[in-house]
Amino acid sequence: MRTLIRLEIVRALRNRKFMFFSVIYPPVLFLLLTAGADSHSKLSGTDVSVVMYYMVAMCAFGAMTAVLMGNAEMIARERDKGWVRQLRLTALPGRGYVTAKIASAAAISLPSIVLVMVVAAALKEVRMDAWQWGGILLSSWAGSFVFAALGVAIGYLATVDTARLIAMFCYFVLAMLGGLWMPFTVFPAWLQHIAEYLPARPYAALGQAIEFGDAPHLKDIAVLAVYLVVFAGGAAWMYRKDTAKA
Amino acid sequence: MTATATRTAGSATGTPATAAVRFADVSKSFGDVRAVAGLSLTLHPGETVALLGPNGAGKSTALDLLLGLRTADSGTVELFGTSPRQAITQGRVGAMLQSGGLMEEVTVRELVRLACDLHPRAYPVDQVLATADLTDIADRKVNKLSGGQEQRVRFALATAGANDLIVLDEPTTGMDVSARQSFWTTMRAQAAQGRTVLFATHYLEEADAIADRVLVLHQGRLLADGTAAQIKARAGARRIVFDLETADEALLRGLPHVASLEVSGRTVRIGSTDADATVHAVYAAGLYPRNLEVAGLGLEQAFLAITEEASAA
Repeated sequence: MRTLIRLEIVRALRNRKFMFFSVIYPPVLFLLLTAGADSHSKLSGTDVSVVMYYMVAMCAFGAMTAVLMGNAEMIARERDKGWVRQLRLTALPGRGYVTAKIASAAAISLPSIVLVMVVAAALKEVRMDAWQWGGILLSSWAGSFVFAALGVAIGYLATVDTARLIAMFCYFVLAMLGGLWMPFTVFPAWLQHIAEYLPARPYAALGQAIEFGDAPHLKDIAVLAVYLVVFAGGAAWMYRKDTAKA
Repeated sequence: MTATATRTAGSATGTPATAAVRFADVSKSFGDVRAVAGLSLTLHPGETVALLGPNGAGKSTALDLLLGLRTADSGTVELFGTSPRQAITQGRVGAMLQSGGLMEEVTVRELVRLACDLHPRAYPVDQVLATADLTDIADRKVNKLSGGQEQRVRFALATAGANDLIVLDEPTTGMDVSARQSFWTTMRAQAAQGRTVLFATHYLEEADAIADRVLVLHQGRLLADGTAAQIKARAGARRIVFDLETADEALLRGLPHVASLEVSGRTVRIGSTDADATVHAVYAAGLYPRNLEVAGLGLEQAFLAITEEASAA
């Protein structure tokens, strides 16, 4: 199983085009979103600057994009080509495949998170305590596993033609409701309430709690953990049950 | 056409516990199509078995069921007395599928190493590469290979460890003649080590030359099960052709060892399981055949005869 994980990571890193866009896109978007913002202006009613808010949002968004889109499409293609059938003829357990896919996605999401942080610190004068940098990096990275698992699950539900569309749809809706593109506080209360139980909001909230100088909230961690188990478990189950493709 | 050969289809002999493969009344449908219909068969350890059948006969579905890639609607499939999944997890089964894709953007060696790593009873990577004749192209990317080379990689994946059963679906598709020959040489060596080998093929000469047992599948059922010689005998192993002034069909049909009879104009075509006896009887009956020819029937013609006969029935 370790060989598969290593091989999946090596493969992901070899795919230079995909790597480039996945890593470059989030910091570019971060710079665009914060282009007009003064580095020191605060988000209304909080002590967090607009730039810092978007930095955490873009760390989350970038990681989410890379893992969700990459996994969904690649897995749908591997199923179509019959590689998954071949793999099912080995002793590899279902969780092995899902773990390897999440690991390779994580290998791509990590540099994209780091780059957003570097750009924020270098160009936008974001300053935080060392533990906050480390905490945001870690929580953004760990949280991306949830979306990697969702990507695997979509790769199983969809065909080659629909995988990208479904992944796009999920990621737009989740990113929007998660407040990754605009401050979460602009939403009406009922929508905020729903969003708290969708994966992207708790994901961004991990990093934001750290921004405020707190530890991530247990509720957010719990919501994410439940999603991770559901997505990964569902994907592993579908890996074994995949009979749609002859 | 008439056939007098006995049917051996569906004979399930041997004890289930020791059978390499056992299908008991297995059925699988896709919508209205019954891909596999009440299939029962037993493969014994050490046998080399060819699975034949026209397109759409249910070969691929049968292999999918055998490997646990699909679940039967009814009936049981067992490998070595356990479930297909269990047998695979124990490293007893290796398979090379026509529909089996390969991982992209990795080298041949990386992929073979993965297969060895995943196999509970794996051989050393270099040995697997050498056996599949991949040593020279071990550092090439998998997605840059020719069709025949890809087949060899699939073969390497199927033989990465000490399997007791090797399942091959159309293994030599895309290989040229010499590659095909060296492939079967390798395969024979595997069989000689006491492994059970089951292969589906379109090349009937392969079945004829390699298999010690041939299964003919047709419309999801087992139509024939025996040695290549028995299958040929069933269809009439030899074809006798001659001209007669007036052909009496009833008389001709009554001749000994006639498996099939076809009269068109003055030309008589007889499929016979014992050409010497049949020809002798033709003369003994007082007939005066002209332009008499006796030719052997290949497995291909035998196969066609059997499946056409079943389609007509």
